[in-house]
Amino acid sequence: MGIASITNACSHLQNATRARLGLTSLPSTKYNLRLALALHRAGLVSSVTRGGPRPPPPEALLATEVEPVTADNVATRRLWVGLKYWNNAPVMRNLAPVSKPSRLVTATVPELAKVARGFPVGPLKGLNLGETLFLSTDLGVLEVREALERKVGGLVLCRVS
Amino acid sequence: MSVARPAARRLISGRLASGPARRRPRFANVRAADMGLMDESQIDKFTKEKFPQYTKEEIEQLRTRYSPEQIAALEAGEAAINPRDLTVQGRLRSDPYALPYIDDFAENQPIVDKRARNKEAPDPNARFMNLDEFTEDLINWADKFQQGDVTGTLKTLVDFVPDEFKKVPEGRWTKEVRDDAQRAFQRYLEGEVNKQAKKNEGFLESESGPTDADVLQYILERSAMTDGNRTTNSSLAPALPSKVPGVAGLYKNAIDPEDGGMDDIGIYQDLKKRTGLTVRAILNLHNKCLVRRWVSNQTRLGKVGKTSIVWVAGNGDGWLGIGEAKSTEPTIAALKARLLAIRNMRPIRRYENRTIYGSVTSKVSGTVVKMSARPPGFGLRVSHRIFEMCRAAGISDLAASIPRSRNPMNSVKAAYHALCNQPNPDEIAIGRGKKLVDVRKVYYGGAVH
Repeated sequence: MGIASITNACSHLQNATRARLGLTSLPSTKYNLRLALALHRAGLVSSVTRGGPRPPPPEALLATEVEPVTADNVATRRLWVGLKYWNNAPVMRNLAPVSKPSRLVTATVPELAKVARGFPVGPLKGLNLGETLFLSTDLGVLEVREALERKVGGLVLCRVS
Repeated sequence: MSVARPAARRLISGRLASGPARRRPRFANVRAADMGLMDESQIDKFTKEKFPQYTKEEIEQLRTRYSPEQIAALEAGEAAINPRDLTVQGRLRSDPYALPYIDDFAENQPIVDKRARNKEAPDPNARFMNLDEFTEDLINWADKFQQGDVTGTLKTLVDFVPDEFKKVPEGRWTKEVRDDAQRAFQRYLEGEVNKQAKKNEGFLESESGPTDADVLQYILERSAMTDGNRTTNSSLAPALPSKVPGVAGLYKNAIDPEDGGMDDIGIYQDLKKRTGLTVRAILNLHNKCLVRRWVSNQTRLGKVGKTSIVWVAGNGDGWLGIGEAKSTEPTIAALKARLLAIRNMRPIRRYENRTIYGSVTSKVSGTVVKMSARPPGFGLRVSHRIFEMCRAAGISDLAASIPRSRNPMNSVKAAYHALCNQPNPDEIAIGRGKKLVDVRKVYYGGAVH
């Protein structure tokens, strides 16, 4: 599936957060897991838990896994993502995929530096107040500021604000 | 010689040292008294006849009509004028400014004067009597017409015995005492009967009790209100007092001395209460008419045209409000819109007191307004209405574009909505659980603009 699952995950998370859901699930893939963990590091989601087809109980959300993955249950695994709200408004309001299967958008470190300062580079618009980019790099899925810190560029996945 | 003598020449004339000397007439005059023209006794006689003092009876009569203050004023006026002066100096005026009639205003002339209204106004608290009050009033009226004898007032036999027998029962009285008492009591009863007969002689025709005239007077003239039968000059109730409770101050604004005469009409008094601003502060606000339209309502009577106005007001330091008002009178619409704009003023977030936070987009109908923060010194590169809004709000660096419809009213509303809905970095940081620092305030000790 590759980048397509990321665009689907972005759409789904945006829909879920606008519907004021507290907990939603994504297909359990490595790519989705890395993106969800990057969102979690950025403070945009409250929890990421691998569970079954049913939502895990609230106490299980603190753990990363509800039950160990086995050959029997691996096909039914889902990533359960807790969504955050503050002051009656979602913390993560907009998720817009940047790369799509028909056009992959990559950015080098100098380009990312410009974008992070708010200036447009090629197809990338400058970041506005509260916006952030998520990239798929050699070091995994990183937020733009993490990538700049580690001086690594990569494939631009999505823009979140 | 000129009429007004210069003061300098008067000084030179040397009279100052001796004071103003009385000028002696060149031809000596003779006083009237010396010629026998004035006789003091004649003057006194005339004075007493024509200008007599009030007698004690007259003063008593006046006291019934006038209050003590008025009586005091009358007495002061009497004391101020010497009647002799009236005799000696009183003349009929012949000057051009004399009144065209002769009158000392002592009497009321019905043709010339307005009717004297010397009775009190109707009782403002009077109401129609209820059944009990009416009954009591009727009894009071009927009691004035005495019918029959008053019982319980006649003496009894006991009153005619000596004191030592008064507490003794009648059976134990001695014969002499009893006979004397009987005789005296008999005499007393006869006397009383005669007295009553004499008293009733005048009432014989009426058989006592009210006459037809009394009944008619009762029906026509007795007040049916609880005003104690007060007579007045007018049947109208007294006019409303100048200060009606509950209404006082609503329509006539008292001029506040704090305003310094800047709001004598009172148009800002309501705003003062609502906003807590002084009139001077209200007048110092930036305000501007942004949109003026002619709108009309089509009715069966034709088009009813009105002026619709959008006004913007701000204090130039982060507060901004817009007001929209309609009226058939353009000036009233403008005033209403301006007052509304001042009332609607609210704080606008400003970054470094010069621009906005990030970029904001707002849409009203087909009008989209995009605004972006800009660095210091950028200026206001915005359309003219947004320029006025920024100036009123105290924003000096801003870029704005209106990519779609540029409807005046919608662009003003969208711009106001955008300014009021800027992102708040602190809220975002709290939501994400991150620490957020503005680096512009970190470098160079924060001295960046």
